[in-house]
Amino acid sequence: MTCTLIAPQIDDFLDGELAVAERSSLEAHVATCATCRSIVDAEQRLRDGLREYGEATVPAPDVLFYDRALARAARDGARRQRNRWVMTGFGGAVAAAMALWIVGGVFFSAPDVLEPGIPSVTMSLEKPQTFNLVFASARALDNATMTVFLPEGVEVAGFAGQREITWMTSLDEGRNILPLTLIATSPVGGELLATLRHEDDDKTFRLQVQII
Amino acid sequence: MSPIDHQQRASFDALVRPHLDRLYRLSFRLAGNKPEAEDLFQDVLTKIYPRLNDLVDIEEPGSWLCRIMYNHFIDNRRRYARQRLVVISEQGLPGQNIEAIAGNLDPVVDSERLDNIMRLDAALSALSEEHRLVVLLHDSEGYKLNEIQEVTGVPVGTLKSRLHRARARLREILSADGTESAD
Repeated sequence: MTCTLIAPQIDDFLDGELAVAERSSLEAHVATCATCRSIVDAEQRLRDGLREYGEATVPAPDVLFYDRALARAARDGARRQRNRWVMTGFGGAVAAAMALWIVGGVFFSAPDVLEPGIPSVTMSLEKPQTFNLVFASARALDNATMTVFLPEGVEVAGFAGQREITWMTSLDEGRNILPLTLIATSPVGGELLATLRHEDDDKTFRLQVQII
Repeated sequence: MSPIDHQQRASFDALVRPHLDRLYRLSFRLAGNKPEAEDLFQDVLTKIYPRLNDLVDIEEPGSWLCRIMYNHFIDNRRRYARQRLVVISEQGLPGQNIEAIAGNLDPVVDSERLDNIMRLDAALSALSEEHRLVVLLHDSEGYKLNEIQEVTGVPVGTLKSRLHRARARLREILSADGTESAD
């Protein structure tokens, strides 16, 4: 092997990507050629320097940085997820397979139409009221995700202070009833969103909540 | 946080946490400084949180996460670049952000090591962005070329060519400042 043939192979040699026969041939040449040996040594020093540079130049994150980042991702990521679902709207197999009715349980009032097409209910302050979310599914669904986004001043009983609650659920074929006990804590009200997600499909249901 | 939210958060943590060190180092290599690296890192975690279902099905989540980070950085490079310009102007000379190295040899040797690292830092700053990235990922971070291809989408042949030219340019710069012999 000659010096001319060695040069293009030095990178592969030092990166450990040369075949055994070529590697042996190159090593034999370098052992007897001072010029090529100095080139290989210089390339090796550069690699050693870059490896050391890599070890020295990335500052360690603060002790709690990962924990804080994960917590913030959960908080902001969930909000982003909610926005994406709402913007996605109704589509796909889930939309085709399901329908939802929101029916007053303990208390029911005839819906007032605040926005055309969006049902509404009226609640009294500090009085727990149960509403049944009724899903009709054309087929059984496993591992669906249900998320309820609450308007200001409305809480789910047992989840004080939370505006968003998510849980995994499975739906049977036919009617599925989810009782949801709500408490109005301030006279604000607004829109309650219930988003059902299964695989890549999602469907968001809207309900106007009025508080008196 | 409800038990359901807690479960989702716990699943996300369990899937992502083993890859955080690698992801953090990549964010630093892309952004070039700690404040912007932390922003990039945070942005990517927030972006993937709603995709927990996708993450569960990924065979190699580490590579997938790195690819998302790289693409996010490329898509938003103007924003990060704007931030970086401010920081560089505040930093002054290349190498200034290297505060110390782990010293386990004698002080003279450690001092030489620090000098070499700072010269290398200055030399790297003279490379184009694509050359600097490939040499940092391959030679400093230990990525294999096919792993860099997975992250960046650039073919191995192109990466190999960039790596060769980047190293040659580094040697040229280091030779000029007397750190390395020209050979």
